[in-house]
Amino acid sequence: MRKATAISAGLHAAVLLWATLSFSGKSFDVTPAESLPVDFISEKDFSEMTKGVKDAPKVETPKPLVEKKAEEPPKPIEEAKPKVTDKKELQATKEATPQPEPQPPKPDPIAEKLKQPDEPKQAKTEQPLPPKKPPLKPQPKFEPDKIAALLDKRDPQRNAATGIEASATPSLGTAAGSAAQLSQSEIDALRARLMALWNPPVGMQDASQTQVTIRIRFRKDGTLAVGPQVLTSGSGAQFNAMRDSAVRAVFVGQPYTMLRPEHYEQWKEIDFTFDTKQMFHDLPAR
Amino acid sequence: MTDNPFPKISRRGLLVGAGALAATGSRPARAVLNIDINQGNVRPMPIALPDFLTGGPAEGDTGRNVTAVISNNLQRSGLFAPINPAAFIEKITSSDSVPRFPDWRTINAEALVTGRITRQGDGRLKAEFRLWDVAAGQQLDGKQYFTTPDNWRRIAHIISDAIYERLTGEKGYFDSRIVFVDETGSKDRRVKRLAIMDQDGAAVRYLTRGDDLVLTPRFNPSTQEITYMSYGQGDPRVYLLNIETGQREIVGNFPGMTFAPRFSPDGQRVIMSLQQGGNANLFVMDLRSKQTTRLTDTPAIDTAPCYSPDGSRICFESDRGGSQQIYVMSANGGIAQRISFGEGHHSTPVWSPRGDYIAFTGQARGSFSIGILKPDGSGERVLTQGFHNEGPTFAPNGRVLMFFRDVGQGPSLYTIDITGRNELKVPTPSYASDPAWSPLLS
Repeated sequence: MRKATAISAGLHAAVLLWATLSFSGKSFDVTPAESLPVDFISEKDFSEMTKGVKDAPKVETPKPLVEKKAEEPPKPIEEAKPKVTDKKELQATKEATPQPEPQPPKPDPIAEKLKQPDEPKQAKTEQPLPPKKPPLKPQPKFEPDKIAALLDKRDPQRNAATGIEASATPSLGTAAGSAAQLSQSEIDALRARLMALWNPPVGMQDASQTQVTIRIRFRKDGTLAVGPQVLTSGSGAQFNAMRDSAVRAVFVGQPYTMLRPEHYEQWKEIDFTFDTKQMFHDLPAR
Repeated sequence: MTDNPFPKISRRGLLVGAGALAATGSRPARAVLNIDINQGNVRPMPIALPDFLTGGPAEGDTGRNVTAVISNNLQRSGLFAPINPAAFIEKITSSDSVPRFPDWRTINAEALVTGRITRQGDGRLKAEFRLWDVAAGQQLDGKQYFTTPDNWRRIAHIISDAIYERLTGEKGYFDSRIVFVDETGSKDRRVKRLAIMDQDGAAVRYLTRGDDLVLTPRFNPSTQEITYMSYGQGDPRVYLLNIETGQREIVGNFPGMTFAPRFSPDGQRVIMSLQQGGNANLFVMDLRSKQTTRLTDTPAIDTAPCYSPDGSRICFESDRGGSQQIYVMSANGGIAQRISFGEGHHSTPVWSPRGDYIAFTGQARGSFSIGILKPDGSGERVLTQGFHNEGPTFAPNGRVLMFFRDVGQGPSLYTIDITGRNELKVPTPSYASDPAWSPLLS
């Protein structure tokens, strides 16, 4: 009994010792992920990713220089044309069987070109040097009495940097870039202004005459360049009242200062469709 | 090829060159931005109405009076907001010259009406007006009328209609009249007289002396004639009355009470109810041939018939289903279809002159309402509700309803837009009920 206990204890101890030694506590290694730089931008910024200019010079990425010329692959064996001779048919086949001597590899003009350093192209891709900074002038002393002289006396200008001005180097930009386009907020502001001003004739019986489209040409200051051009054709008192109410709203709304001058190309001509269809519908039954 | 520094210009080359020039000269086709404006801001249109000019002292205050009537008409329509003349900057001195639009834009006027009243050599009045769009800076309308001096009020109404139609696209309703029952005296000794007035409540004229009780006057759509129910001695009968001559005649010779008459749209027939025992049926009588046709034959009370504007159908009130409801059937009779299924009773249906709605008196939970529904029974809605509202009648353009309301002492006339807005009391000399709106006079 005692012996058995000792053996049991000894074996237990041995197992425990083996377990302690053999089970290594291998920790989970988490490779630290590389942090990504994240910028928070508004949806508007996102939708207006810098649009480029179509005629910008194409930026050439330097081609990798060829250090070593690869071995020329053997030229494909030219199929020997069997000489068409009626009499010596067998001979002709005999002559064709010997392999023609492989021609010595011709120097490849393209590879030659690649060998040469790409001097002119390199020069093209060079970024224009930033203008040289003028030598530092001695800092003028700050005189509190002459603050007025420090103020910017230039007239305020309605200019904002987008498109070309935002990116120093003209590039082809993204295909869907719209920085130089009318933003949705400008369109919304314009629409809101016209909705507030438009006083459509109410309760017209003829529901078919609910729509009129008017083309407006704007000046850069947001006023109408010419009288509104009515694109919808129609006649009758209801059409006239509808058309006039739309024209009136467009006239009263000027100048449309929410349209920014730098987007003038986009808004110099706008078609407005005035539609009452969604305005008047039957009230729910009681 | 020779090394010619000046290559020959071929005709083909020229053409290609011109094509290239044209291609670069015109901008690439770019879709014009299209913006949908699908909501408006409905509000009364600010309109400036400077007093009409007059040629001299002979016209007196006519110019000012005409302007006041126009201003009142437009304001009461609920679609216009006449601007207080004290705000005017430019003083109109000539109705022929173009006004200074910036002056009118400053006071937020959207429309401007200028006009002149002059007395002609033959004693008639010449009234002319111009309607200007202030925002666009252009003339929208300009007309002139000739009339006798005592007719200046009608001229004002006609000009109001012209302005209303040009700016809203709907026909106006100002040059129209109302025939109604004028009620005077104490409650138990009421004198009821038939009276007629302009739609704005002016120029009231009495058509009967008040000896007999009069009810439900209705206009003939085409002539200056009315039909009404009256009873003094004997049974109530339907009468015809010429407004201009005062000539009166009884419609048909029926062995019982006739009531609730109404003209057909062509004015050639009168449709009415004839009581037979405990029930009433609809009959139509041709005014020329005096031929009578029975339209319904039910053991129920069929009454208050009204033609659709095209004369093809009739709406009427009947209790054949247990309670008073509105039914529609062919103008020649036949099977009637019930169209009112809203809460409570529906009575006194009247078809809009433009055909899109039927107005009715509703009665539910102890209150009376004026409502409209479409001829197919859909779109029922209540415009006004209260202790007692009854007897709607449509303005000639179908935009406005007139009805009478009794809040306890006696009835008065009210108008309301079919949108349920702009409820207004119509001025009458005393209590008034049972209004009927005439068609446009011109």
